[in-house]
Amino acid sequence: MTMLERSAWYDIARSTNWTPRFVSENELFPPEQSDPYGIPISEWETYDEPYKVSYREYVGVQREKDAGAYSVKAALLRSKYYEEVEQGYLSMLKFNYAASVPGEYAACFPEGRMARFSKAPSMRNLATFAILDELRHTQILLYFAHQLVTLDRQFDWAAEGLNSMNWVSMAGRHAMEDLLHSRDIVTTSVMLHLAFETGLTNVQMIGLSRDAANMGDYTFANLITSIQSDEARHAQIGTPLVEIMVRNGKKAEAQQAMDIGFWRIWRLFALVAGIPMDYWIPLEKRERSFKEYVDEFVVKQFERQLRDLGLEKPWYWEYFLGDVERHHHSQQGGIWSWRFTVWWNPDAAVGPAERAWLEKKYPGWNATYGKYWDVITDNAKHGRKEKTAAVGMPCVCNMCQITVANRGGKEWEARVFQSEHNGRRYNFCSPVCQWIFDLEPERYADFDTIVDRLYNGEIDPASPENLLKFMGIGVLSEGGRDARDFSWAGGERPLAAAAE
Amino acid sequence: MAKFAVLSRLQHDAHIRVVDIDSEFTMDEVAQACAAPAVGYQTSHPDPSKPLRIRLTTKDDSAAPFPRGMKVKETSMKHYECIDIFVE
Repeated sequence: MTMLERSAWYDIARSTNWTPRFVSENELFPPEQSDPYGIPISEWETYDEPYKVSYREYVGVQREKDAGAYSVKAALLRSKYYEEVEQGYLSMLKFNYAASVPGEYAACFPEGRMARFSKAPSMRNLATFAILDELRHTQILLYFAHQLVTLDRQFDWAAEGLNSMNWVSMAGRHAMEDLLHSRDIVTTSVMLHLAFETGLTNVQMIGLSRDAANMGDYTFANLITSIQSDEARHAQIGTPLVEIMVRNGKKAEAQQAMDIGFWRIWRLFALVAGIPMDYWIPLEKRERSFKEYVDEFVVKQFERQLRDLGLEKPWYWEYFLGDVERHHHSQQGGIWSWRFTVWWNPDAAVGPAERAWLEKKYPGWNATYGKYWDVITDNAKHGRKEKTAAVGMPCVCNMCQITVANRGGKEWEARVFQSEHNGRRYNFCSPVCQWIFDLEPERYADFDTIVDRLYNGEIDPASPENLLKFMGIGVLSEGGRDARDFSWAGGERPLAAAAE
Repeated sequence: MAKFAVLSRLQHDAHIRVVDIDSEFTMDEVAQACAAPAVGYQTSHPDPSKPLRIRLTTKDDSAAPFPRGMKVKETSMKHYECIDIFVE
């Protein structure tokens, strides 16, 4: 059968707006879902997607991607690769699988809302494909992680962690519900397609893919490369949308949405990507530092993309650049010290060679973070097992749900930022998390951090054992332990002798 | 006697910690409670030759320390008060 070229029919097929006669335009496209900014529908109809694809083409390409990824997985599972690879690397996989599945699944819903509520017919088309993208990502991640559950129960968090009350799961869910589930689709598109997918996914997907390939884990490398090829495509949904906003006098609104979305996702990505890249990937396998990836994909590329769209860098850009040097190092320390609260076995990875690498990549590391690890290393060397794990609770940010931490040592940069709302005190890790809360306190005021829940009676009794159970530790799987049983610490009496 | 939580910002520490204190505590007892989960675990005492003092956290770290024997109930501290634990 003779097929028409796509270009011969595409423009007709995408012109699917009509003049409603039985309901008003506002009933068909409720402003609170479709466009609270009041941009005329005729403007939305100028939306010109930067890539064009037919369903037949889409299915053909996606089938090839899936076939490639699944065939590599089958080959690797026949080997003993995952039984023999370093625990720190497995921790990267456990963390990334369990962090990515909820994110990919969450992204199906805003794409679905865009497919229904966008006033731009072409955007509705692209969002329909994007739903299929995100579903594929959810499925393939779940399937791959499930293959590893027999090796280690901690991999089951990829499936079970989605709804858990673990603090890490809550941090991810809080951001997804804020950015993807509870705003109109125009604002959500700026946050999802521009801030999240254009701004930050390259760091995780391309950077970690390179590290995984260096590790010989072609399954994970292929998997996330396959996902990123979709993300890079449908991230472009946001480009014409922002152009329409800017052209119609809504630059400030687009900018604010971008600033909020970028920061919220940054706080998570620095943990998911930054910690593995700079600590859990064995030194000889690291392609580059996290900071170097951020410099390439965010500081240079994304900044240029924002400028091309007529937007500015986020107002907190200088603070962000500083955060690239601080956030993931601070959280690596905290996660390792409170390792019994997470579902992976974090690698301290601060032996002499690793510290030299960290100092080279992050000048000043030894004088700040190094002091932190000096105390821990001394305890580890001298068999003081009870002192290598944290006691008590860290303060948790009421926005990002991540612990409030910063450079220690003489820099002493740890600081909490507080706001009061309706007589209640809220704690924030940074001026940016505080700014987001202060913009719309009612949106966030009722959500409680894991620490708040200890004091408001939700976790009752407020005992350490009950807190861990509340977070799914000892229920879904055991909690974390040091990935290398302290062999990194050296000394005459390594703690491995008295392993946890 | 009333218990509540303060946010402990111990000099040189990387973490802000949630520490339960009692309104009957003196400032020295508050310092002791705040140092207990941090010193020797992830940080060192900023200067073991000097006593730890308590002040309210401010943007420029300029608040005066409370007298060491002063009780919590004599201050304006309330739940989630952020305090510095430091040496002069």
